[in-house]
Amino acid sequence: MNLSSILLFVISKMDGQRTLNAGFHLLRGKKSGQTLTDVEYFNVKPFFGILPKLEDSTYAKAIDELMEAGLLIQDDKFVCLTQQGNKKVEELPEFHFRGWDYRGREMVFFSRIALLVQTLSYMSKGESSFTPIQRDRDTQLFVKRLLERQPYTDPGFSKRIGDELKMALLQSGMSDVQKYIFACRLTGRSETAKTWDQLAAELGEGTDVLRLLFIESLHRLLPIVEESDDFPFLTKSAFEIKVHSYLTDSALHTKKLFDRGHSMESIASIRNLKMSTIEDHVIEMAMNDKRFPVTHFVSEDQIRAVISKSAEMGTKRLKLLKKEFDTLSYFELRLILTARKDVE
Amino acid sequence: MDLKRVLLERFGYENFRPGQEEVIRHVLDNRDTIAILPTGMGKSLCYQLPGIIMEGSVLIISPLVSLMEDQAMRMRRNGEKQVIALTSFLPYIERQRIIGELQNYKFIFISPEMLTQESFGRQLKRLPISLVVVDEAHCISQWGFDFRPDYLRIGDFLKQSGNPPLLALTATADEKVLNDIQRYLGMENPIVQRHSLDRPNISYSIRQVNSAFEKTKWIKDRVTQTVGPGIIYASSRKRADELAIELQLEGVAVQSYHAGKEQDDRSIIQEQFLSGELEWICATNAFGMGVHKDDIRQVIHDHLPPTVAAYIQEVGRAGRDGRPAAATLLYMQTDEQTTSFIIQSDLPGEEEIRHYTKMVSEGNPPGEAAELASLTETGKRVIDYYRERYPLEEILLRLDRLSNEKNEELQQMTQLVKGGACIRQSALSYFGELCRRKPEECCSNCGLNDSGWLYEKESKKSAKERVSWDERITILLG
Repeated sequence: MNLSSILLFVISKMDGQRTLNAGFHLLRGKKSGQTLTDVEYFNVKPFFGILPKLEDSTYAKAIDELMEAGLLIQDDKFVCLTQQGNKKVEELPEFHFRGWDYRGREMVFFSRIALLVQTLSYMSKGESSFTPIQRDRDTQLFVKRLLERQPYTDPGFSKRIGDELKMALLQSGMSDVQKYIFACRLTGRSETAKTWDQLAAELGEGTDVLRLLFIESLHRLLPIVEESDDFPFLTKSAFEIKVHSYLTDSALHTKKLFDRGHSMESIASIRNLKMSTIEDHVIEMAMNDKRFPVTHFVSEDQIRAVISKSAEMGTKRLKLLKKEFDTLSYFELRLILTARKDVE
Repeated sequence: MDLKRVLLERFGYENFRPGQEEVIRHVLDNRDTIAILPTGMGKSLCYQLPGIIMEGSVLIISPLVSLMEDQAMRMRRNGEKQVIALTSFLPYIERQRIIGELQNYKFIFISPEMLTQESFGRQLKRLPISLVVVDEAHCISQWGFDFRPDYLRIGDFLKQSGNPPLLALTATADEKVLNDIQRYLGMENPIVQRHSLDRPNISYSIRQVNSAFEKTKWIKDRVTQTVGPGIIYASSRKRADELAIELQLEGVAVQSYHAGKEQDDRSIIQEQFLSGELEWICATNAFGMGVHKDDIRQVIHDHLPPTVAAYIQEVGRAGRDGRPAAATLLYMQTDEQTTSFIIQSDLPGEEEIRHYTKMVSEGNPPGEAAELASLTETGKRVIDYYRERYPLEEILLRLDRLSNEKNEELQQMTQLVKGGACIRQSALSYFGELCRRKPEECCSNCGLNDSGWLYEKESKKSAKERVSWDERITILLG
């Protein structure tokens, strides 16, 4: 797994209908209307925000590699896969990311585990003084509360947590390398974690590859501990990691006004925002709520017409559809495509 | 009063360390005091002991949340339960609860920004305060390399609360910084208690070279032939990385450390250095604060530090255990220019300031404006502080002066390196101190024989065996 293979997959999903930038914004988890709409259109939720700090130079390099290998071509403004690229996609291993659910917060989960393990490693051996490997105050307070009224100086207790961790890693389905990376990022009294550079040298892989493997492994571990009663401490450590509202804060604000019966114009003036922003929010709301009242904005007939035309033309490109439906606005078209995605 | 008895009964020590008793007596006499004690010389006892004797609470203002927590934790571990660290990082509800019951605490650690919080200020007024302690007091001086604009607010706060007795603590302070501490804290005729900054177990040497290549070569030879643990300070992240890679190729257990690395990796590297898994660190000046490692044998400077104070602070991390340690500075002709360039690019320039203030006054959010004007984090904080007090022209004037001062400081550092006089003596005189007795291994200008201890290198430990993931968890947790 590396950035290029993920890109190849994502671009194949986008089906030659998006520019180069779309993939970049997707991986960084940009919360703009266009990216959020793309996520839904093209079924790429798992990759949303998996690399929040991705730099454009790194991205450009990965794209260049794909082009040089003849897997990718850019026509006009859009990118699509070559025949060779399409063949390559078939051979890709399955990805197990859940970016839409975690959006970088999986690292918070890991920070808690890392500090929990370090604390128990020292405490169970009767040492109460160590330099916390996690500097973040929220993480420190979280672990402190987690251990309140627990027998944290008891070696039996730390062993129980260790067993819990081992069992969860086994059940998560992550690969052996991923389990190894996970364990190597833990610090305690007798062992210190390894840096990405050190792991890269040891495993003969690039740090980017290892980071991606690590993120994916956390995305496999989290659902296991969220859904099972077998891992009480890991479940507690996953508290509020999964996104509970899929709406952006601003869209949530708009939704509240909308639910109270305000029109879009009225919301725009109350919030002192541009109409196009409110439109983005409405699209976001429709995307995240299957029962969203789309017919508030467009008629059933219009919906049917657009959906069948889109299927007939084999495109979701707004520009092309707009030519066919001159009376509908871009917003209305987007709304139809978003809300009726599952109709197809 | 028999202070020694209190010391023994409450702290379990037979004797004071040099300087402590004098400071404690001044404090007990209600005199404003500035205490200059090197790190690791027991600064905290200087307020803990008087705090126990005096009625009322001791308020300790500290610049770093981690230092504060660390200190409070140590006090608690030593049996002092009435201690609390109040920071803006605490959840709101918890903070309010603590503020509501401040009178229950004898020692209250706070960060300076707490002073501007109203609810805290109100509670504080009702609290009998026996002593206010300003830790790392040099942070108040804008001429210093650790300047914290928030510290400048302490003066306003003290005035409002009726000028309680004050103790300012710092590890290094030259005359200028000392004046700033007095002035900004509004201290009246403070007693200045100084303990010598001299570290007789550290030898200083300066080596002139002709190129960066020569520096690299010297460092490679040195590190492979002499003892660690050690720190190599470089001017840039790139150079720190480069040196680390060169040394790794020689089989040295070394990593680079700088602000460009992710926080987790930085913590890991620090921990590996403490535990001895790493022998050397190639770092920018980001490395050091809060690193408690006593057995550092060498500090090597690959660049010219911007001030003598910064240099002495970095070198002072060596030999805390009292055993011999060596400080080496590699110098080439262009170093002065390089450092000067770095200093100037850290300071906000006239254009940037004008641009920033204009945007802010037009109603742009300060954060965005600072980014657009390409101001650094510190630059923004300094200007924000000034903006509350002075008109634009005055701000420009002040920053111009600041820039000149920084250049002057660099000149002093360059003089120390090129002057040819005893390095120890020159450095001490910079802090207004006389060097009373030179140790045998003093400095390269006094003449150094290559000391035997440097070459007593133990054979390398064999690399750790690779353990599987579940074994590793078992090792960690049992």
